[in-house]
Amino acid sequence: MFQPKKPSTMNSHDRAMCVQGDSGLVLTTDPKPRLRWTVELHERFVDAVTQLGGPDKATPKTIMRVMGVKGLTLYHLKSHLQKFRLGKQPHKEFNDHSIKDDLQRNAASSSGMIARSMNDNSHMVDATRMQMEVQRRIHEQLEVQRHLQLRIEAQGKYMQSILEKACQTLAGENMAAGGYKGMGNQGVPDMGAMKDFGPLNFPPFQDLNIYGGDQLDLQQNMDRPSLDAFMPNNDNICLGKKRASPYSGSGKSPLIWSDELRLQDLGTAASCLGPQDDPFKSEQIQIAPPSIDRSTDLDPISDIYEAKPVLSGDGMGDKKYEASPKLERPSPRRAPLQADRMNPMINSGSVAQGRNSPYG
Amino acid sequence: MAMAIDNAFEVDFSSYSTTTTTTTTDDDLACTWNDWGSPVVDWDSLSSERDEFQDLIESMMDDGTGIELARVDHETSNSVSIDTMVADEESNREDFKGLRLVHLLIAAAEALTGANKSRELARVILVRLKELVSPNDGTNMERLAAYFTEALQGLLEGSGGGHGKHFITNGPHYHRDEHHQTDVLAAFQLLQDMSPYVKFGHFTANQAILEAVAHDRRIHIVDYDIMEGIQWASLMQALVSRKDGPPAPHLRITALSRSGSGRRSIGTIQETGRRLVAFAASIGQPFSFHQYRLDSDETFRPSAVKLVRGEALVINCMLHLPHFSYRAPDSVASFLTGAKTLDPRLVTLVEEEVGPIGDGGFVGRFMDSLHHYSAVYDSLEAGFPMQGRARALVERVFLGPRIAGSLTRIYRTRGEEESCPWSEWLAAVGFKPVNISFANHCQAKLLLGLFNDGYSVEELANNRLVLGWKSRRLLSASIWTSPDSDF
Repeated sequence: MFQPKKPSTMNSHDRAMCVQGDSGLVLTTDPKPRLRWTVELHERFVDAVTQLGGPDKATPKTIMRVMGVKGLTLYHLKSHLQKFRLGKQPHKEFNDHSIKDDLQRNAASSSGMIARSMNDNSHMVDATRMQMEVQRRIHEQLEVQRHLQLRIEAQGKYMQSILEKACQTLAGENMAAGGYKGMGNQGVPDMGAMKDFGPLNFPPFQDLNIYGGDQLDLQQNMDRPSLDAFMPNNDNICLGKKRASPYSGSGKSPLIWSDELRLQDLGTAASCLGPQDDPFKSEQIQIAPPSIDRSTDLDPISDIYEAKPVLSGDGMGDKKYEASPKLERPSPRRAPLQADRMNPMINSGSVAQGRNSPYG
Repeated sequence: MAMAIDNAFEVDFSSYSTTTTTTTTDDDLACTWNDWGSPVVDWDSLSSERDEFQDLIESMMDDGTGIELARVDHETSNSVSIDTMVADEESNREDFKGLRLVHLLIAAAEALTGANKSRELARVILVRLKELVSPNDGTNMERLAAYFTEALQGLLEGSGGGHGKHFITNGPHYHRDEHHQTDVLAAFQLLQDMSPYVKFGHFTANQAILEAVAHDRRIHIVDYDIMEGIQWASLMQALVSRKDGPPAPHLRITALSRSGSGRRSIGTIQETGRRLVAFAASIGQPFSFHQYRLDSDETFRPSAVKLVRGEALVINCMLHLPHFSYRAPDSVASFLTGAKTLDPRLVTLVEEEVGPIGDGGFVGRFMDSLHHYSAVYDSLEAGFPMQGRARALVERVFLGPRIAGSLTRIYRTRGEEESCPWSEWLAAVGFKPVNISFANHCQAKLLLGLFNDGYSVEELANNRLVLGWKSRRLLSASIWTSPDSDF
């Protein structure tokens, strides 16, 4: 059941434990040596399980591959994973209160608890702790995901301010200060023109199923409020496919760019900005809550896959995004891939119709 | 004689899909090409008589297609795989051409610098290459080869990345400053949207910064190369919305500015500053912006940086992102050495990953460079197969000049420079590694998940994340703290 890798080191110690070489495994020197799950080792285990999409999806084999710890055998992982999975049962049976209490009690020092509990004989307690550890990790991932989206949006917004500036310069507008008054109301619709050439695409986060699809629904719910508050222009959020992401599906795609690679061509869009001389002012406008509902005339879901060849209306995303949580995706792992496969065709189709562009 | 050459070619093409080692005529030029789908030229068979080398090159250039070559049937037993090759000949035709281009490029590089230098031979090969490639259309390999050809041509003419009239209009010998500014902006935008390279560097560094200053009221970042300042937009957003720690900490950025002319001039740094100030104001982030003017020799004098007691100091050093200008090693070293005396809380470093060099000299580095950029080209193509023109723009504005620049440098130094990654250098001068957090690693993975398959992130050390395409490492981000810090 266990092959000692370095018998010599094991003999050299007369105490019960010995560390095995560079892999850092701690094994007993019993005739039947057992692996000791140290905090570090367990952390790596939890990481691996999380990466693989949770204890139900992970198998000893995949965990072994992901962990890549020398000397760790399938046998070790099998029993540890079993404990781990066991931990899930009580959660399902207990009512919400007990879970919450448990979570709160342990949130502060979960790793410390695990360290102590690792050597407990109560497997049930072990398992529960481990399960909570996974829970914590998944929560952390969701947080990271939410933050990442906000960060991408912030960069996009900033990029837009650079582009606006460039357009204005090109349009030969005078950058002199003054004349900002009264622009507030006009500014918002005009921004639409800018957006068309600033493909500040918000990637489709709901397809971030790197860690498995389980948390997707939760994630969408978490993201929405904060997003709505922070970024009124989520036009560009395209519901959709993981891969071809920033572009495919949404009307704002590099298709726009590939044919009109120069901002000069878009100068007309910039020049209609009217009194909006200062890009930073327009920045502020963007941040204000959306005052105009641009999405009324749009069919929410069909837009997603509709090929929009050109600089299409900018409002489609709002509606789309609102509709997103309702979209059922029975098999989150598969569906995006299929959709993905379709994208190139959609894109090329729209290119072919929309323009006579030679590339492809 | 002719038979011998054909023979060499057959070995070459029939094993084109396996991972192999290219052995060049000179032992010291041996290079390993992992995962290239490597071309094999049996130079050894030719090493006895140097004259045959010339013949080989000429035969390479004279033959219409590689497939015709491979079809030539002769007495060797190596022809087993010919049938299968002919079977999917259509799909392989491009591969053959790509391989031929690689061979020609390497042959040209060898002719230019190898033990048996022949500038005349190099010139002939380059003429042939130019007939075969174009930077604006064709396959990835053809476009890539166009830029490498152009760069080699520059070296041959002794212009060292110079200013001769070349066949690529507006080609890679033009510094990015010479591109129309709108092209640069468009390319910058495209680069960000098409690939994770820029965001990976910025976000990994920013996440580390956020964790390091989680409980500070005043944060001061000294930025080695601020460029458009886009890195800081997301940091400000994160600072404004952070829940733990003091609300809305004050952020101060000191950007190094260079006295040289061009797009990176003071004017642009000022522009960046104005833009950042406006952005900060728009989201309610307390912010101030300063410049630190570098002298023309780019010596960094830490005492000239204004520090305020009680602020957390962060040193940010973005190097080699695809859209960045080249910075001389002396300049970077001066900055980091000086930074050390400021006792920074955190040092964030992003740099290009360079393959193992060995004693490959110019040709070895040349091949590594070819490998590197072909990975970049492929990553862009895989994600956006339809956007050929968009990619061509990114290539023309950013990648082409980068290729020319890096070949010029390895030519001048014969591949001996830049052997040490900056992360190793930091460790050597005493900076202490800071662990990459779970959240940071997770963020990088999520980010890559937004792009096409093929990208990977690996934790090469506890403090270093590496972004790769397929098995080629391209960019790494590492985080450090000052030797005296107990952070």
